[in-house]
Amino acid sequence: MAPQAATLIYLRDRSVEMLKKDLILKNPLRAWEPDTGHNTATPRMGLVVAPRGSGKTAVLVQFALDSVLRGNRVIHVSIGQSLEKTKEWYEDLFQELSRSYKLEHVGEVHSEIAAARLIMTFNTGSFSAAKLEERLTDLIEQNIFHPQSLVIDGFDFANADAAQVQGLRDLVQARKLHTWFSAVRRPEDKQVSALGVPAPCDRFEGLFDSILLINTDGHGISLTTLKSDVAASKDHPPIRLDPTTFLVNQG
Amino acid sequence: MKELEKVRNIGISAHIDSGKTTLTERILFYTNRIHAIHDVKGKDGVGAKMDSMELERERGITIQSAATNCSWGEYNVNIIDTPGHVDFTIEVERSLRVLDGAILVLCSVGGVQSQSITVDRQMSRYKVPRIAFINKCDRTGANPERVVSQLREKLNHNAVMLQIPIGLETELAGVVDLVTMKAMYFDGDNGEDVRIEEIPANLAADAAKKREIMLDAVSMYSDELMEAMLEGSPTVEQIREAVRLGTLSLKLTPVLVGSAYKNKAIQPLLDAVGYYLPNPVQSENVALNLLDNEAEVKLSSDSNDPLVALAFKLEDGRYGQLTYVRTYQGKLAKGDTIVNSRTGRKVKVGRLVRMHSDEMEDIDSAASGDIVALFGIDCASGDTFTAPEISVSMTSMYVPAPVISLAVVPRNHKAQDNMSKALNRFSKEDPTFRVHADPETNETIISGMGELHLEVYLERMRREYAAEVDAGKPQVAYRETITRRAEFNYTHKKQTGGSGQYGRVAGFIEPLEEGEYEFVNKVTGGSIPSEFIGSIDKGFKQCLRKGPLAGFPINGVRVTINDGASHSVDSSDNAFQQAGIGAFRDGFGKAAPVLLEPIMKVVVEGPTEFQGNIMGGLNQRRGIIIGTFEEGAFTVVEAEVPLADMFGYSTVLRSGTQGKAEFTMEFASYRQLPKSLMDEVIKEAGERKKTSVA
Repeated sequence: MAPQAATLIYLRDRSVEMLKKDLILKNPLRAWEPDTGHNTATPRMGLVVAPRGSGKTAVLVQFALDSVLRGNRVIHVSIGQSLEKTKEWYEDLFQELSRSYKLEHVGEVHSEIAAARLIMTFNTGSFSAAKLEERLTDLIEQNIFHPQSLVIDGFDFANADAAQVQGLRDLVQARKLHTWFSAVRRPEDKQVSALGVPAPCDRFEGLFDSILLINTDGHGISLTTLKSDVAASKDHPPIRLDPTTFLVNQG
Repeated sequence: MKELEKVRNIGISAHIDSGKTTLTERILFYTNRIHAIHDVKGKDGVGAKMDSMELERERGITIQSAATNCSWGEYNVNIIDTPGHVDFTIEVERSLRVLDGAILVLCSVGGVQSQSITVDRQMSRYKVPRIAFINKCDRTGANPERVVSQLREKLNHNAVMLQIPIGLETELAGVVDLVTMKAMYFDGDNGEDVRIEEIPANLAADAAKKREIMLDAVSMYSDELMEAMLEGSPTVEQIREAVRLGTLSLKLTPVLVGSAYKNKAIQPLLDAVGYYLPNPVQSENVALNLLDNEAEVKLSSDSNDPLVALAFKLEDGRYGQLTYVRTYQGKLAKGDTIVNSRTGRKVKVGRLVRMHSDEMEDIDSAASGDIVALFGIDCASGDTFTAPEISVSMTSMYVPAPVISLAVVPRNHKAQDNMSKALNRFSKEDPTFRVHADPETNETIISGMGELHLEVYLERMRREYAAEVDAGKPQVAYRETITRRAEFNYTHKKQTGGSGQYGRVAGFIEPLEEGEYEFVNKVTGGSIPSEFIGSIDKGFKQCLRKGPLAGFPINGVRVTINDGASHSVDSSDNAFQQAGIGAFRDGFGKAAPVLLEPIMKVVVEGPTEFQGNIMGGLNQRRGIIIGTFEEGAFTVVEAEVPLADMFGYSTVLRSGTQGKAEFTMEFASYRQLPKSLMDEVIKEAGERKKTSVA
């Protein structure tokens, strides 16, 4: 091969790169995490609280995608949802993205994502920090998969105690994982913490570095910051999300 | 004609060594279908009845599903022998569609083994209600209770014992029926005389306790039983009805015990088939409407509606080709005209028979829900037959393309004849098995869905057709495609005496996201006379069969022609075909061609402690691990792995997991082969070509 070939960037490659950039820029997370390439080294633990059926899984999937597009490897822990179903979340979101962006090279980006993401599903009630740790150790020590990020969907905060959540925090700290949890807020329980974190997560607000609240109203979906470790974003106004792609609404 | 409510279409499904064939044999004996009992690897050389193929007889396993009919009391039972091996997915799935219920046979010593898990999952997917039969209770180490808890833990069944054994291992004497609260013994040379007595005193307390447990579990499915229990003692009928409802809803698995080999408790198992498994009307079946984009339509099971029947099995017996069909609605009668919905061809029903393994009984018609066999019908396995007025299909018309192939060379002239007979038969029976001749090497190439898939056919060729063949190394079916647009402008010119040849073709070639090939004609102003446009297309199509990279078929290209030139004398059909071939090669070479490789969806299941091992193994095979999930004490790993790296995987997996893990794979998609590997494949193809020329 001629030496100059290395510097040649085909148009199609460029458009894949541009697409990725665009997706990164429009991710709601940019309000809290400026795009500085890879995740910062400090492991952080975030929480997305939402009413049932408002798209918390989609938001987590969008967070996972963001991490992957920025060159990280992500483990998606899904508690009480099947592997098939979890995969579908990615498929659906991806199809939605390729439709709204009229993408051409969906296939490649798609298989890139599949290779950088691993889904781990647990039955409701059988998930524990110890079990997760065992699985993570398997993956890392046998050189199968080295994650930098973790999303945990479906953790049962209602029946958890502080020690369990602390256990998970210790684990992600030790493994240096940037982690996002999702939690369902109970509509019947009006209790909120000092920061405004609704039950059942009000008890755990101290254990998370950032906490976001998903709201649905007549206009669609928005994200409100309840807690953030990035000084600038604490008073960030609510971010409106596109209800199909869960990216920041440009309108 | 027996009432539809009394028909049972059942499968007997099990792990290889749990005694399925022996059990089937006993069932046929008790239903008076056969008059002597033979064992699977019997000394008398006759062998059990259902394994009609030599190969199966020898290995003691069942590969092909045969259907057989028998009567038990007022019930008319069709037994479909389902293959247990996971590699024969098409066949397992086809027979699962045909049956309405199943007996899950488990070994009282071995318990729930990983293969039972796979088969059980397939049954769940097709919503087949099951009753479990814990066989081999006469063996040393028999422990039915442990098997019941495995059914609960490993298979997630709500397993409830309806019987307890009287004695175990060599002491096995009979069973206690917890529904009737009677002891049953099986006397006579072959256990044919059922003796019913009171429960032996030493078992009375245990039986009462187990009955309580059973009633508690079963009453969930019937309010009537629940009320009867509150009021006092429920009747046998009330209990049976509740068990039936629970079984039909797939939420309950009644468990029976016994020993087929020792002729213990087969009759009550047959009773249970009648009591608890569904009749054809109770199972929901759907077909695909071919006039409405394969939309699902529900089938009625009514004999008065237009016929819909599935040909699920072909057999080449001594009486000619036999086609097993199951009717889902409508009646099938001698003299009827029916339509094969795949080919659209009309056929007349000649001889109609009910099968009993190797023997048959002529009948005039079959009602909806029945399983019968037809003579002299030319069709493939999986074809749907309907009444002429409707157009539906039981299976999607989509058949996955084969992903692996190998060359077969007959050793002598006789083998040549036998081989072609065999191959012709196999490709009819199994749409995923294909045969073609390689024009370059003159070799016969067979292709299919996996290593084992082809191995079994090679074996069958040897045994059933006495065709001695040598098989080549398995080859992955790569594809060639392009990754960007490229222009071409090619002139074909020849002036070698006589009339010359001239044609110029210009245009561009570009990737096509879906589909094999598209031809677009944008030539304006008559620069190429319209009669030669088709010649160019023909030339392009010729190139598709064998790509220039490594000789694999080309996929996913769109070729547009927009200019060219012709000569009033020297242009001809042939000249433009040649110009087309030249133009295609020119454009293809410039369009960054690549090889695509088949990627398999691989699902491995094994005990959780081997999870790391399993994932490590997949990782080493260029696999992308999609995810993991739990299933009882098992973890299931799902991955996408290139087929080329799956050769020999079963051996590696077995040794890495002490034989406790199993895998299935199916074709997922084609994906671009990494550059370094692509160069290797191209080099190999070049060498193959050289040797075949030499």
